[in-house]
Amino acid sequence: MIKLLGAVLILFAGTMIGFQQAARLAARPRQLRQLAHALQRLETEIGYGHTPLPEALERTAEAVPEPLAELFRDTADRVQGPEGLTFRESWEQAMTSGWGLTALRQTEQSVMLRLGSTLGISDKEDQLKHIHLALLQLKAEEDTAREDQSRYEKMWKSLGVLIAVLVVILMV
Amino acid sequence: MLDRVIHLLPPELKAVLEKLPESAMEHLEEIRIREGRPLELGIRGQSRFAASDGTLRAGSDGAYKPTADICRKLLEKITNHSLYAMEEELKRGFITVAGGHRIGLAGRTILDGGNVRGIRDIGGFNIRIAREVVGSARNLLPKLLDKNRKTVHSTLILAPPQQGKTTIVRDIARSISYGHWGLFENAAGWSGRKVGIVDERSEIAACVRGIPTFDVGPRTDIMDACPKAEGMMMLLRSMSPEVVIADEIGRPEDGEAIREASHAGISVIATAHAYDLQDARGRPVLKQLLEDGTFTYVVELKRTGEGFMHRVVAADLKDKLPPAAREPTAATSKGEQGRTYAGMQRGDAP
Repeated sequence: MIKLLGAVLILFAGTMIGFQQAARLAARPRQLRQLAHALQRLETEIGYGHTPLPEALERTAEAVPEPLAELFRDTADRVQGPEGLTFRESWEQAMTSGWGLTALRQTEQSVMLRLGSTLGISDKEDQLKHIHLALLQLKAEEDTAREDQSRYEKMWKSLGVLIAVLVVILMV
Repeated sequence: MLDRVIHLLPPELKAVLEKLPESAMEHLEEIRIREGRPLELGIRGQSRFAASDGTLRAGSDGAYKPTADICRKLLEKITNHSLYAMEEELKRGFITVAGGHRIGLAGRTILDGGNVRGIRDIGGFNIRIAREVVGSARNLLPKLLDKNRKTVHSTLILAPPQQGKTTIVRDIARSISYGHWGLFENAAGWSGRKVGIVDERSEIAACVRGIPTFDVGPRTDIMDACPKAEGMMMLLRSMSPEVVIADEIGRPEDGEAIREASHAGISVIATAHAYDLQDARGRPVLKQLLEDGTFTYVVELKRTGEGFMHRVVAADLKDKLPPAAREPTAATSKGEQGRTYAGMQRGDAP
């Protein structure tokens, strides 16, 4: 009886792990797309609205879903905080502390950190160029993420179940 | 005075300035920050260097030197981390922040077809702390009144930089707008006048998002950050002002607009950089305006340790006036900070 219960638990856990990995794979291209949308929003705020960065970030945060919105809101909060942080410091802190909540990887993070070191410190044209560059890089990442998704999503789903079955068979 | 701008400064600089003696903080007028060079303070018209322990000295030896990092932080703070949103300001060379404080910038300019497009590598900042001295024009205004039209005569106010032009013109705007016409007894029953201010440098009214942060009176409209000539014409067309006020005129189109306004029956009160009337005649635009009789009066301002001193001169060039001493612009019995102007001679406008 207990053996049976254990087997069922292992099967369940294996399936879930597989599904979770698959969900992460599916979430990555979606969040990359949302991040690109956010940057486009920021581009508009800077290019046409001449909105100051803290306000532009807050508006960007309103336009994208969580957990990405938190990255921008956190930056805006930090930069306006009493510690007198520079924009770059605030951006770096926000991107590092909030990154774990997203399905995004190291490559995207370095794209964003690079962008953060240029935001706010040059004229409009230069700002737009840097955002554009970041957008191109994110687009390339999105394409590979989509390939990964189509290639590995199904695999992870079945792999989880199959490994769980293997473990159960070995145990019995 | 320091507490008004302390929020703009990076923590390192804040720590130094907070150690200043009480009286220096109170009379602080300018903070001049130059990258890698001694920190200079303007206190009651005098230049002093500050050491890192807050002591003041006349010589620059041993003074505190702000680093490149501090200057970068300061620039970020005053531009609200958004240099791109400040392109117009950088073209003009200064930024006005909430509260009317003007921060002058110096550095390497970027040229575009021979015109300055902006400044980069900014290495020098001059934070000028704006002051609002209510009643600073109380003695001056009655001398400028036009008794027939129950308003004020067109007046040109002349002074070198840092002598209180903006402070005086702001108080004039406020007094006219409220209808506080001052000592002149017949003016007691006059109502206030509609005032239009063209505030190209955002210094007179210190608008933040179109709302003035200084009290400029209840009948006052402000064109903020607007080129003076265009702003004057816009006000004329749209807001029907009776008195138009503009700061620091000097370009040919300014003269054109002022002439236009004065022919429309509007009194114009303008300021310009010049030591005195003689000096002003050396500037083509001012000379032309004075010769045309656009201004009835010229006021020469000078700031002394006691307050603002003024001298009213009829602008008509044909009248050769005997030179007179400058007089205080505010009440003679008791000035700001309780200092007295007693003993200073007071007389009628020539």
